[in-house]
Amino acid sequence: MTGFLTLEMRRCVRDVRYLVIAVAMPVGLYLLFTGLFGSHGQQAQGLPQPVELMVAMIAYGATWAVFSATGPRIAHERAIGWTRQLHVTPLTPAAALAGKLVTALAAALPAMALVALTAVLSHHVQLTVAQWPALLAAMWAGVLPLALLGLAIGYLAGDDIAFPLTMALYFALGALGGLWMPLSVMPHVMRDIGQALPSNGLAELGWRIAGGQASVPAAILVLAAWTLGSGLTALLAYRLRAARSTG
Amino acid sequence: MASAMTDRVAVAGAGPGSARLGPAAVLAAGLAKSYGSTVALAGLDLHVAPGETVALLGPNGAGKSTAIGLLLGLLSADCGQVRVDGRSPSQAVADGLVGAMLQDAGLMPGVRVGELLTMVRGLYPRQLPVDELAGLAGLGAILRRRVDRLSGGQVQRVRFAAAIAGDPQLLILDEPTAAMDVQARRDFWTQIRHFAGRGRTVLFATHYLQEADDAADRVVVIAGGRKIADGAPAAIKARFGDRQVRFTLAAGSPALLPALAGVHAVEQEGPRVTLHSTDTDATVRSLAGSGLGWSGLEVGGLDLETSFLRLLEEES
Repeated sequence: MTGFLTLEMRRCVRDVRYLVIAVAMPVGLYLLFTGLFGSHGQQAQGLPQPVELMVAMIAYGATWAVFSATGPRIAHERAIGWTRQLHVTPLTPAAALAGKLVTALAAALPAMALVALTAVLSHHVQLTVAQWPALLAAMWAGVLPLALLGLAIGYLAGDDIAFPLTMALYFALGALGGLWMPLSVMPHVMRDIGQALPSNGLAELGWRIAGGQASVPAAILVLAAWTLGSGLTALLAYRLRAARSTG
Repeated sequence: MASAMTDRVAVAGAGPGSARLGPAAVLAAGLAKSYGSTVALAGLDLHVAPGETVALLGPNGAGKSTAIGLLLGLLSADCGQVRVDGRSPSQAVADGLVGAMLQDAGLMPGVRVGELLTMVRGLYPRQLPVDELAGLAGLGAILRRRVDRLSGGQVQRVRFAAAIAGDPQLLILDEPTAAMDVQARRDFWTQIRHFAGRGRTVLFATHYLQEADDAADRVVVIAGGRKIADGAPAAIKARFGDRQVRFTLAAGSPALLPALAGVHAVEQEGPRVTLHSTDTDATVRSLAGSGLGWSGLEVGGLDLETSFLRLLEEES
């Protein structure tokens, strides 16, 4: 199992789609947006622009990190029969599934840390000694529903549509979830939709912690609901595929 | 039923190596499986003793892949029992007793051959050293290559290596040579013989009679989801392997032809004679000693597949 995990993670690090979209792009966008919008204005969240954008880009990068490690990859492995081959080794299907989840969560960490590091280095973002670990830990945990969503896509979608589907979802979650621009500048209906998305819940966790507010019940509720929904869907999809693993 | 299946059994006369006591490597009784209205298996019985190399021979659609799916716990049977080394197939797989090369099963993308094999062997309790594995599967030069950059033949070798990486007691192969050329096929069976020579049990599905004859200790013929024959390769070949001796009859009576050794059918078109034989060597020898005048001798004709399939259809 350790060997399986290590190799899965090594694959992730070599994956150009992961490196470019999950790691390089959020850093680039962070520098671009802070450059465009200036680094001093107060935002709707009540946070300085560089802090608010840092949290948004952490959420954005983490979203693609867990998506790229799950949806398209699992769909492809099912299509080429690697999943089947793995099922005739002593690695149980449940362990393989758990391995995918752990790999996806691990893939989110570098993407998140690099944006934070960029924010510190380029805009001297300062949080307290307690805030940094709290922010990163809470946001890391908040990635779980997105990772489960990726698993569900991997087991439901075919190889041909898994990548575009994941990509579209990633853009939609970013745009509608308030990662590209604050929900407060959007029309009312969009705001309601945005607040129900896991991407917004994830960023909300970060914004609240960075703003020194301990309590984030709404965001936690949203993330918990998505965890439950995506988790059940992933489990059902996985069992459906396992039952039809041979033709 | 279940307890009887797990009992230690002694089976006599089923093939080489089967006279010893111990749980059968594979024991199936009355296995049936349907997909909707399509019957894939209709009550298959199968016994494989430890150390045997057994071919599961049958045409496409005979139920070979379904049988293998059941033996590996990838499918569950509608009815019947199956035990691998005295336990359920899933348990045997989880215990690392089984290695398998499935049809159309791919390799983990984006990794090197060596990395992949190291990972796979790490999943098994008993492992073959990587250099021994590379030797057995002929991988020497490609261990550092990415799996996405291998030729078709190399992919097959890596798949074989992955199947034996955990030094399994039982190796199951589902039409392993389907994508190989003649030379690759020959090399592959040499590798299998080396592996089996370590006292391992091998069960492989094929639709090539010749392959079953070359590689197996025993051949189980299935058609229409049932076992229709089970025996030594020579016996199976004599029954299913129609070979031909052709020549032009220059002198002598055609009435003598059916009496030649090994001949089971005679065709004649003008002076050109085709003898269908179960043993062409014997037929040619007895032809030479028959006093008949003949020329233009050809042995073979050997459309083995066609004759095999035709005979199977007659059987079922």
